[in-house]
Amino acid sequence: MRTTTSGHTAALRWGVLALGAGLALAACSGGTGAGSAGGGGGSAKKATTIKLVAAEYSKDHTKAFWDKFASDYKAKTGNTLEVQIVSWDDIDQQSSTMVQNNNPPDILNLNAYASYAKDGLLYSADDVLSPSVKSDMIDAFVKSGTYQGKMYGMPDLSSARAMFYNKALFTKAGIAAPPKTWAEFEQDATKIAGLGNGSIGYGLPLGPEESQGEFSIWMFNNGGDWKKDGKWTINSPQNVETLTFLKSLATKKLTQNNPGKTNRQDAFDLFASGKVGMVVGFSPLAATLDAAKKVDYGVAPMPTKADGGEPQTFGVTDYLMAFKKKGNQDAVKAFYDLYYQKDQVNTFIKAEGFLPVTKSGIEQFKSDTKLATYLETLPNAHLTPTDDPTWDKVKLAVQQNLGTAVTGDPKAVLDKLQKSAEAGS
Amino acid sequence: MNGTLSWRRIRPAAMPVIGLGVALAFLWPYLVMLLDAFRPSGDVVTTPPSLLPRVWKWTTFGEVFGDERFRAWLLTSVVVAVASTIIVVLVAVPAAYFTARFRFRGRIAFLFLVLITQMFSPTSLVVGIYREFFSLNLVNTYLALILTNAAFNLAFAVWILHGFFASIPKEVEEAAELDGCGPVTRLRRIMLPLTLPGLVTATIFTFIAAWNEYVVALTLMLDDNKKPLTVGINSYVTGYEQNWDQLFGASIIAIVPVVILFAIIEKHLVGGLTAGSVK
Amino acid sequence: MKRRGEASGPVALLWLGPALLLIAGVVVYPAVELVKASLSRYSITGLRKGDAGLANFRGVLANESLGTVLTNTVVWVVAVVVLTILVSLGLAQFLTKEFWGRRVVRWAVIVPWAASLVITARLFSLIYSYYYGTLNAVLLGLHVVDTPIDFLGDDRWIMPSMVAVGVFVSIPFTAYVFVAGLHAIPGEVYEAARIDGASPWKAWRLITLPLLRPAVLVATVLNMIYVFNSFPIIYTLNESNPGFGHDTTITFMYKLAFKSAEKDVGQSAAAGLFNVLLILVAVVAYLRVSRWREEES
Repeated sequence: MRTTTSGHTAALRWGVLALGAGLALAACSGGTGAGSAGGGGGSAKKATTIKLVAAEYSKDHTKAFWDKFASDYKAKTGNTLEVQIVSWDDIDQQSSTMVQNNNPPDILNLNAYASYAKDGLLYSADDVLSPSVKSDMIDAFVKSGTYQGKMYGMPDLSSARAMFYNKALFTKAGIAAPPKTWAEFEQDATKIAGLGNGSIGYGLPLGPEESQGEFSIWMFNNGGDWKKDGKWTINSPQNVETLTFLKSLATKKLTQNNPGKTNRQDAFDLFASGKVGMVVGFSPLAATLDAAKKVDYGVAPMPTKADGGEPQTFGVTDYLMAFKKKGNQDAVKAFYDLYYQKDQVNTFIKAEGFLPVTKSGIEQFKSDTKLATYLETLPNAHLTPTDDPTWDKVKLAVQQNLGTAVTGDPKAVLDKLQKSAEAGS
Repeated sequence: MNGTLSWRRIRPAAMPVIGLGVALAFLWPYLVMLLDAFRPSGDVVTTPPSLLPRVWKWTTFGEVFGDERFRAWLLTSVVVAVASTIIVVLVAVPAAYFTARFRFRGRIAFLFLVLITQMFSPTSLVVGIYREFFSLNLVNTYLALILTNAAFNLAFAVWILHGFFASIPKEVEEAAELDGCGPVTRLRRIMLPLTLPGLVTATIFTFIAAWNEYVVALTLMLDDNKKPLTVGINSYVTGYEQNWDQLFGASIIAIVPVVILFAIIEKHLVGGLTAGSVK
Repeated sequence: MKRRGEASGPVALLWLGPALLLIAGVVVYPAVELVKASLSRYSITGLRKGDAGLANFRGVLANESLGTVLTNTVVWVVAVVVLTILVSLGLAQFLTKEFWGRRVVRWAVIVPWAASLVITARLFSLIYSYYYGTLNAVLLGLHVVDTPIDFLGDDRWIMPSMVAVGVFVSIPFTAYVFVAGLHAIPGEVYEAARIDGASPWKAWRLITLPLLRPAVLVATVLNMIYVFNSFPIIYTLNESNPGFGHDTTITFMYKLAFKSAEKDVGQSAAAGLFNVLLILVAVVAYLRVSRWREEES
């Protein structure tokens, strides 16, 4: 590799100067830049630029939607919306990096909000949500998005879980209908596991990805909850009973191998292979199954512990929260006004295959018969206590520890989680 | 001796066979990956597994190339990797030569500093890097990523070149010096050709490191079309929708430029062999 | 007129300047930020709330999983580096011999290095899968085992599985460092050895190996650093394992920031500094040991 002598040295000198200047700039500049609200043109209405960091639900739909939304937004308000798409795996790291540098986006799409509200970083609904928009939101989600009396977490979409079952395996095992109680459930799982040939009774994902979700849905159907009346009830007798029940499924070999180390997607893949009798799933799983056309599946409400109990649905929403920055309030308000328009939010939700977050959305989705089961129970869905900042830490503790109960002591695990929750509040 | 004679005879046939074994040992996971690119995404994660696709899907590579997002990511990777490599070579060669040939105060310190900087993992540094480039208004620019990649790979380049420069006998250079060559000419005309293998190694190393860098690119590149391949292809498999076929198809495509670069410059690894020189 | 071989400060700056600038800008400045972060108190969101003194360091040292993490790290680094160096020495020799098809073999060897580590890790997590992994499929098909091996879930298998991938991706670069080193050895040296009647093995041990010493040194030190900091393999293959049971210091540091109940960026920064210290100690120890050997032989 040859370098020219004089040209090289000269280039070096310039390079040194340039880099030196750059570094001097870095050394001299104080903190990092603050908000991104920029000055606008000379017209009466100031055009602002706001930044959205959106999580990527799917390759084909997320970016496409937000790009179109940004152009609609610009056409309607004159403001510019910069969109940054980040994968769900990395979005925690990204948002933390931004906040650490006092440079959060204007709108952040995340699965939590309460800690940010607690740190005083967010606008509340009073600041940026039109009353008509707020009243259209499903009450359960408004409640879940409210911290200390003010709503900070605006829902972007929702999902609800249900019991997916393999009709072919059910027929083969002589099971007439999906189970309504835990006792029936266990019987059914036993029959299917008894079919041999690698058949698995129930796909139980208690791995670190989302064990809080799996545990929630069983817990709610045994009359338990994470919190009751403002107090943590993680190790309540019902919850210990629930976790012990799940452990017993594993011990009795009614589940797949190593449930404490299985993540949600692995359980779904097994179900999609046609090997699993039952799994707790949601609409993305249904979409995969419909596309593959391999498994004849049905969707049923969750079985309850008690006879004749009312099945509880586990619901989840993600949030679009807005960071307080100088000069961006109007632009942010315009963002929400536009997003919650029927033809915007529901287009997004439909494309991604999730469930609505507004009452008008429920009406609009009713025409899709496949969603009937979900839509009925959606307004009464149970959510995890995302309105409590401590939950943000508890959730992580649950994810990291719950799976160990499969080979360990359920009560000890829950006691430990209870202690850490109480210490954290 | 008997043993040597019969090895001599079978050697021409045996070596390629061993070579084939070695090649397969390093290629087999990527052959699995190639096969996975030719089957529908669901087939990749179906139980029980089948080595060959149950259903062959031939459109994957077409889909990937046809995706404008992919093309943008590919272009970014090329730009960043090429530029970073050029900068590393331009910066490391003088530094390594000088450190190998001249004694000066802080020489060992410099070498050690260079080494220590490698010990900081990019994950630890990324917050500071973001902060710095943000204050320079260079977030979301190619320049920021290029400079970062160059800096990260400097240590390897300097150390390996230093080793090569140091191993060339001083007499070689002294002869040239007597002929009137200054340091830069000596570097250019004599040292560089002799250390070509080290240079080639440093080039490949930097290119690959920059091509596959993830954490800093993830944090600094905000626009989708400025993401390099490593970050972009995350989009193929999310928690809600998996396109394993496209993920692996894109990954196979990503390997090709590196192998091509290597194929082109690899013969220079032999460079210094007959340099012989002084005697 | 300065003595030959010595240089003055300003001249040194000219040759070293660009390198120093790049390093100062991209590594030193963020490293200083890292130190500042380790001394700060952060909210779970990443908002800096004030100074923390040494609380973060104490917090990391008090973490109940620290012992396991350190043990894992030592095992991981030693196993991967030693195996990589040994295999690469042999491979490099092979790759410098003349034979038909050598070029293609050389290209094949580069592939694990050319592929992104993140992708290779994902690929192996699929290959190792209990239910749909290629490896289990082959093992079952050849009747080596009756039931699949839980490579990623069985505590006994996880570390070997990770080490195998670590070695696999480290060999190409190491082998090529040795190839470069081997090619720099003048052919006359081997001629002389052959004329003297030395057997190939003896020639290798007494001539090649010592001449490769600088290359082995460089390769070992760099491998140590890269393996210590190797994130994707450990993180991805550990995805379904709760807790820190199989983490090394680098994934521990990451999880402290984003995935553990602590979710504390300050503690993570402290852990990051411990990590650097660990690597420094390891590298210095290694350099001391190998210099010793040099003096003795």
